[in-house]
Amino acid sequence: MIRKLYTVAEDIVTELGAPVDHLTRRVAAAAVIDNPWAGLGRVDELAEEAARIAPALARELAARLRGLLGGVDEVEAFGKAAIVGLGGELEHGAALIHTPYFGNVLRELVDGSSIIVFSDDRGPAGNPLTVPIWHKTAAATRSHYQTIQLRIPDAPRDDELVVVAAAASGPRPNARIGDRTTDPAVRLEQLL
Amino acid sequence: MKLRKIVTFVEDLHREGGRPVDPIARVAVVLAVIENPWAGQGFVADLAPLIDEVAPQLGELLAPRVAAALERPIEAYGKGAIVGLDGEIEHGSALIHTLKFGDHFRKVAAASTLLPAVEKRAPAGTVFDIPLKHITDATIRSHHQSVEVRVPDAPRADEIVIGLAAAAQGRPLARLAPLSTEQ
Repeated sequence: MIRKLYTVAEDIVTELGAPVDHLTRRVAAAAVIDNPWAGLGRVDELAEEAARIAPALARELAARLRGLLGGVDEVEAFGKAAIVGLGGELEHGAALIHTPYFGNVLRELVDGSSIIVFSDDRGPAGNPLTVPIWHKTAAATRSHYQTIQLRIPDAPRDDELVVVAAAASGPRPNARIGDRTTDPAVRLEQLL
Repeated sequence: MKLRKIVTFVEDLHREGGRPVDPIARVAVVLAVIENPWAGQGFVADLAPLIDEVAPQLGELLAPRVAAALERPIEAYGKGAIVGLDGEIEHGSALIHTLKFGDHFRKVAAASTLLPAVEKRAPAGTVFDIPLKHITDATIRSHHQSVEVRVPDAPRADEIVIGLAAAAQGRPLARLAPLSTEQ
């Protein structure tokens, strides 16, 4: 089923010339697979294939995330994504990442409880996709809002899908914009 | 050396041409984004002092990391330097084309051949291909290959991206006749 597994890891050491306050590692793991609905025209019932394919993908990608970050406890934040090849529907990617067969398995395997933030797109091979990441147990934790960009030179082909899981080991480097507890009350009428 | 970030890519190819690739073919790339050591200095005639300082640091940083990312014995390898728009390609060449850099990779890989390389000047987000050849015999055709990478926000105009690539095997399903059959 999998043609290619692709991972990217980013370690930011300095920002604007100075060491960052937190050495966060951001990672993404992607599986390039055949679109199971390619060539079938409109298929109304997508759940059966999602149930067959998505759990194994979630297991494989979660294992890569844990490996890249050095263990499940190092996974502080997570995200997911799909890139659908030009011959498919966005709904095909949605079927694989937005149903419990993927998200629940991924969440459980990295000890998360949040809804998993996502992005999706349809594009040619080499299409870059920015994958959002947020805290795995407290999604509103502002310091952990971040992204990683993924690009696979030769995928997805028209009849393929790229399914992605992403994670970060901590907050953004130099995060310093406060959170809901420190925000002033801002209302539109005050700003006019 | 002023290091901004390290980016690591690993690609596992499971299938090619509709057939399984067994064992799965793995290629790894590690890139370091650094400030161009000669940035803002105008034309510098003698590059040797900063080569002596920076090239070994880059070799020590990258060689073990790419070996660790590959997790297998290295059979083919290559390197690259992408210079930001305000620098000279010579700056990138200076950092990768001396033994002070390359020997770190040769030692880690138990290699003996010259490292094939890409050098170019480009904006952040440029796509580039790192060529790889066999680590002890650069005429082994099955191991001629390349790997494409890109860092969205590097190199800045005053930066250089320095990279090493390693493959655990030759091309997947390689089936060209060896050079010796044509000689």
